[in-house]
Amino acid sequence: MTHDPQAQLVAERPVPGQPRPYEFPQTFRTTLDNGLKVIVTPMPGRELVAASLALRAGAADEPAAEGGATVLAARGLTEGTEVRDAIELTEAAERLGASLHAESGWDATSVGVDVPESRLGPALELLAEVVRRPSFPEAEVERIRDERLTDLIQAKADPRRRADEAFIGTIYAASSPYHRPSGGTAETVSGLGSAQLRDVHARGASPRRAALVVAGDVRHDAVVALARSLFGDWSGTDATPAGPIDDTAATDARVVRVVHRPGAVQSEIRIGHRGLPRRTPDYHAVSVMSAILGGLFNSRLNMNLREEKGYTYGASAGFDLRRARGPFTARAAVNTEVTVAAIGEFLTELDRIRDEPVTDTELKAARDFLVGVFPLRFETPGPVAGSLGGLFIHDLPDDELDRYRDAVEAVTAADVQRVAREHIRPEAAAIVVVGDHDQFGTALDDAGVGDVEVVRDDVDPAAG
Amino acid sequence: MPVPVVQFSDERLPNGLRLIVAEDHLAPVAAVNVWYDVGSKHEVEGKTGFAHLFEHVMFQGSKHVGKAEHMALVQAAGGTLNGTTWLDRTNYFETVPSHQVELAIWLEADRMGSLLEALSQDNLDNQRDVVKNEKRWSYDNRPYGSWNEKLMGHLFPADHPYHHPTIGSMEDLDAASLDDVRAFFATYYAPNNAVLSVAGDVDRSQVRAWADRYFGPIAANPSIPPLGDLSLPALLGEERREVVEDNVPLPRIYFGFRAPAFGDHGLDALDLAGQLLTGGKGSRIHRRLVREERLAQDVAMFTLPFTGGASVSVGWATVRPGVDVDTVERAYLEELDRLGREAPSDDELARAKALTEADELGALARVEERADRLSMYATLFDDPGLINTMLARYLSVTKEQIRDAAAATYRADNRVVLTYVPKAADETGEAAA
Repeated sequence: MTHDPQAQLVAERPVPGQPRPYEFPQTFRTTLDNGLKVIVTPMPGRELVAASLALRAGAADEPAAEGGATVLAARGLTEGTEVRDAIELTEAAERLGASLHAESGWDATSVGVDVPESRLGPALELLAEVVRRPSFPEAEVERIRDERLTDLIQAKADPRRRADEAFIGTIYAASSPYHRPSGGTAETVSGLGSAQLRDVHARGASPRRAALVVAGDVRHDAVVALARSLFGDWSGTDATPAGPIDDTAATDARVVRVVHRPGAVQSEIRIGHRGLPRRTPDYHAVSVMSAILGGLFNSRLNMNLREEKGYTYGASAGFDLRRARGPFTARAAVNTEVTVAAIGEFLTELDRIRDEPVTDTELKAARDFLVGVFPLRFETPGPVAGSLGGLFIHDLPDDELDRYRDAVEAVTAADVQRVAREHIRPEAAAIVVVGDHDQFGTALDDAGVGDVEVVRDDVDPAAG
Repeated sequence: MPVPVVQFSDERLPNGLRLIVAEDHLAPVAAVNVWYDVGSKHEVEGKTGFAHLFEHVMFQGSKHVGKAEHMALVQAAGGTLNGTTWLDRTNYFETVPSHQVELAIWLEADRMGSLLEALSQDNLDNQRDVVKNEKRWSYDNRPYGSWNEKLMGHLFPADHPYHHPTIGSMEDLDAASLDDVRAFFATYYAPNNAVLSVAGDVDRSQVRAWADRYFGPIAANPSIPPLGDLSLPALLGEERREVVEDNVPLPRIYFGFRAPAFGDHGLDALDLAGQLLTGGKGSRIHRRLVREERLAQDVAMFTLPFTGGASVSVGWATVRPGVDVDTVERAYLEELDRLGREAPSDDELARAKALTEADELGALARVEERADRLSMYATLFDDPGLINTMLARYLSVTKEQIRDAAAATYRADNRVVLTYVPKAADETGEAAA
């Protein structure tokens, strides 16, 4: 009735074959007279082309009182231009089979389009129109602002988003933009209108801080010619360069904060502190260390909290590397009744990665993963364009990706321990939990991880 | 715009394993993908959630592989991997640098051939806890998290296996024994109940040799029990309504309709309908409810394709603060009715098709997606060639067919309306537990 469980399976593990040599695809860089960088990566056979205009202008550059203006301005870019309203714009893109999108994060704003190669020209025309001639219509801006305000109401109800927000609010000082969500808070967003969005865009949209990145089955010279015709006469405003980003930490001591959610069946845990900038010289060692601690499926955190204890569906940790020092966060959603035990395991693992060198097996697994997965990451044009845009945004050398695998291979166990000791600081780590404090409050007090502050969210009257 | 044709071989090993290989040497990567013809639709009352729990057990080791070592080996090979369970199937997949394909094939064979030799009570208990946390995380502790279970519960009768969710009931999971796991494995995890697809930078005859070497020794199960008759009436026959109090700040209305089974041309038409109703700024429902009348924060409309009797068409609208829920429901349904009366314009249809075509081009550019599609079409329709004809099917849909599919599906006597409303606050100002 059933198949034979004693089947004579092959016991020996296959050894890998000869790797096919892989290099990051050849990339051509040109600078137009107005300063615009044009970065082109031909990828033969990749018909769906990814194009994006990356601007070195992000939410971290905006004044605190206008928190959220940059993210909202990016959304506003596709809400209408001097020649087309939002619907006409969308329909024009759709007729090309193109999706036109614009978004901002902490460090950058990007306007992108994915389009079949045969229609790249008209799609880039739309992209140029959106970047160079946005109109930020009053009524549309008011609507997208209200949508963001409504989204903030929803964020408060979602334990994951509530935990992320409470965590950054805990670890960064109020003076730092990283203290708030990149999309802003209700207080800052409610004051935004067309005028501010126009200002944000005017400050950031300049060819001198922009790169047009195109990857796919394209010819380098053809893309440069297109770029020249669409952006060659773009001058933009000569805005002053953005100053340094304030990434002041709120404190250097342990803070424990619980956002009380009666009846929650899980606790969303965030543990960490201010981390590192993207341009850290320890980038490759930190990548290996993070993979071992909380990046791989078989990371220490996931093996401990999931595969041994069964506390969670998944535990992880990592650095959000920004222009300034973004957060280091360890995270999991755990069963309410094991909340305190899980926090203990997190802290144990944060200590352990500092106190003992990683094993050769762990080191090799992490390095082999990061090196081996490299060609997988760049199978299609989207991630290729995204990574090249990232290099531009962070002002990294052109050969950064070419050097990546050798640099990872060179990381030693001593390097891993050194960067763990320097960049992971359990004593300064905030512990933020969104969960049912009634169920674990006493045990948390008894655990002695720090004085506990309990936050009770008011029920928003607008929600009732 | 030409979407490249996927060339593939399609053969069977003597033990019944179907092997599909699609060579493509653009990038030095390859995908290994196994579909087992078993999903939550094969579960019986009292044993729900079993197919999914079992998927977790598949990563707990086999005769020559330790607990969680499958993950470790694939990641150390520079690969990515996962497994998923759905109503009609369970799939497992690895994407690896092409010189590591043999390892992935060996790993899949070892667990198909010898999973039970590594099965232990500890591992089962551990994964049961993990799955319970998956349920809490994905459904229980998430705003509106119960919508899928509730919609499916209304759309399919209690004796139909689509009635219960893939994650299953926690009571059933608690009751699952090692013997249950053994029986499930022995019944369904056989080579003649699986499709192995390999796509990417590989040599076809080499893959066949590896498949013979590693899967060849695994015996077929000659007596896989046939699935019962899952057919059911095309229409629900009534409107079913439920109001759900939840920890949500804004009301949201979910709409569910019984729709033609996966593979029926009528479902293709509904997929395009979803695009032109809610896919982007210019789509009908988005444009009216979100942009013009500003009644809704967001809207959606899409299909969940199933082969067993009926698929599901799902829509939702999140109600903006201060807006009357009934107004939103009325406006949403008016647009569905309108599509059922008047065919869309040529331009609307052309735009929906252009986007579908570009999506297909993007999806099939990845070896992981290509391998998964080949396994899917082979498992569900015995026709992996659908990978090259599905797009043509979408592009052949006429505007009248969209109108007719909308009229046949979006009917009052074929719909479920779930309305999520914020839980009433108690006197302390906290939401009641």
